[in-house]
Amino acid sequence: MKTVIKTNGLSKTYTNTAVPVHALKNVTLEFKEGEFTAIVGPSGSGKTTFLNVIGGLDKPTEGHVVIDNVDIATMKESQLFDFRLRHIGFVFQAYNLIPVLTAMENVSFIMLLQKQSKREMEKRAKEMLEQVGLSDKLDIRPSQLSGGQQQRVAVARALASKPNFVLADEPTANLDTESAFNLLDIMARLNREENITLIFSTHDQRVIDRARRVITLVDGAVDKDEHFERN
Amino acid sequence: MNMMLKISWRNIWRNPKRSLVMVAAITAGLWGGISAASLVFGLLEQRFQTSIEQHISHLQIHHPDYLRDHVVEHRVEDWKALQEYIDNDRAIKTYSMRTTLNGMFSSAHLTGGVHIIGVEPEHEASTTRINDNLTDGSYFSDALRNPVLVGKQLAEKSKLQVGSRLVLTFQDTEGDLVSAAFRVAGIFQTANKQFDESHIYALRSELGHYIDSEVVVNEVALLAMDIEQINPVRERYAEAFPGLTVRSWDEIAPDLYYMQGMANLMMMIILAIILFALAFGLVNTMLMAVFERIRELGVLMAIGMNKKRVFSMIMLETSILSLLGAAGGLLASLFTLSILGSRGLDLAAVGGDSLNEFGFPSFVYPTIEPSFILMLMLMVVATALITAVYPALKAIRLHPAEAVKEE
Ligand SMILES: Nc1ncnc2c1ncn2[C@@H]1O[C@H](COP(=O)(O)OP(=O)(O)OP(=O)(O)O)[C@@H](O)[C@H]1O
Ligand SMILES: [Mg+2]
Repeated sequence: MKTVIKTNGLSKTYTNTAVPVHALKNVTLEFKEGEFTAIVGPSGSGKTTFLNVIGGLDKPTEGHVVIDNVDIATMKESQLFDFRLRHIGFVFQAYNLIPVLTAMENVSFIMLLQKQSKREMEKRAKEMLEQVGLSDKLDIRPSQLSGGQQQRVAVARALASKPNFVLADEPTANLDTESAFNLLDIMARLNREENITLIFSTHDQRVIDRARRVITLVDGAVDKDEHFERN
Repeated sequence: MNMMLKISWRNIWRNPKRSLVMVAAITAGLWGGISAASLVFGLLEQRFQTSIEQHISHLQIHHPDYLRDHVVEHRVEDWKALQEYIDNDRAIKTYSMRTTLNGMFSSAHLTGGVHIIGVEPEHEASTTRINDNLTDGSYFSDALRNPVLVGKQLAEKSKLQVGSRLVLTFQDTEGDLVSAAFRVAGIFQTANKQFDESHIYALRSELGHYIDSEVVVNEVALLAMDIEQINPVRERYAEAFPGLTVRSWDEIAPDLYYMQGMANLMMMIILAIILFALAFGLVNTMLMAVFERIRELGVLMAIGMNKKRVFSMIMLETSILSLLGAAGGLLASLFTLSILGSRGLDLAAVGGDSLNEFGFPSFVYPTIEPSFILMLMLMVVATALITAVYPALKAIRLHPAEAVKEE
């Protein structure tokens, strides 16, 4: 199976603090196409830092992040914008959407940034919102959607850009149990049916149980890397 | 609609109150600025018109030494030849050939210096329309011997009325002093109080009797058909009459000429100050708009909206905001001008009388050059764009990974 991300000796040390914080220590991992991975670990173990580094939002202090044969750890900041736009899908914990745009426009927006044609944009935005079960909310603004629905729009947006993989930092943290399961169901189905590579961080044991690979970080280092057969 | 425009437009109305206040501030600033400028320009324009039409005319011709030494010997000797030339000149609308003297007047109440202008009534009337400015009496009635017209201020000071007697004393061409009795036929009032306080019109023919055996002409004032074409006309007269000094209005009253440019500059400075104040409001508004949206901007930058686009988005929002204000200010100003421009504004009610002392009218018709408004609009847009740079820079300096964590 194709490798989508390969990290090598990844370290991140924050020095803007009183004592230097080693948020990541020598993390070497490989992610294959179609994997559905949960990054878990106690608070402060480096989950967010890891996702930011492999998502090109943060630079590692040491090590390499190779995506599509390119080491993004050495990439210029200005190039990273375009790299993220074309290769990586993001879902954050909350407030993912532009409040002044409808669900449809929010999903279209990323394709606009990619300079896709208007027709292509509209077709795919509708398709993606359908995938996450929101065909009836196309013209609704985020403020009128529930937290779960907002996260589903964010997933639709992430997928609309046809990324190599999708990163989600605690996507269910702000959701009630039912919405959390619902979102996970959708993510699992997309992973299974569309072969989307998904990497998400979470604290939530119920959510962890859905992942087919679980990587546990402790103090910035990989403690466990387990594979499960599910669904 | 273009998506970026749509986003910017909707972002502006996320906080309608704040945006409306900003738009209203720009509208009010521009409206005030343009209205004030149009008033000043109106005053200047009218002063220009009255100065040219009632006093200076377009061209004046004198003996070369007259300007240095204002005496009657410095006269236009062959004025008849000049008159014939003017009569045959199609570029000239009308003219007046005058005898001007510095003299003394004495009435029962007052004695003082005065400028005496000897005129040929019909010609003077067509040139300066002084006959239209009579507040009392008549324009050189035949019934009186030695009729004169006295300025309103001079008449009030010296308690002269129509029919009053006064004595004028002046030098004749031999240099001897002559005194003669005159009667007030009429009282005139122009927009220039200084002028009205120091000038008396008399009949040229009668003054001629006292100062020489014949009519003396030492000042010729001409109105051309077109003031814009005055320079070639002046050159032609200077060539045709090399022994005389020919001056156009801007040489006679350079202050009038410079005042226009000066007023433009002053108004631009005042408007620049207004814009400067508005710029602070805009910076504040846009900074708030950026700080309120740190998280959202972080997400946008994280998913790949590059700095150029984020920067443009903030610039676009500022531009729309300022253009709305500019449009509002423009409309409000045009509306005000369309009313006041035709109806006029009476400044007398707010103490505008004193303007007359400086030769300005107190009843103003505001006017403004379209180019001035255009210039101003460009200044507003330029200010907005310069102003927007700071909040836009703040926006793109955000670090996406940190901005998305912002509470
Ligand atoms: N910008 C920063 N500056 C300084 N230290 C930081 C910064 N970001 C993270 N850290 C530190 O790095 C360590 C790892 O943080 P990180 O946010 O990656 O943990 P996490 O596993 O995501 O935690 P949580 O489960 O609470 O989200 C922590 O000790 C944190 O305090
Ligand atoms: Mg975290």
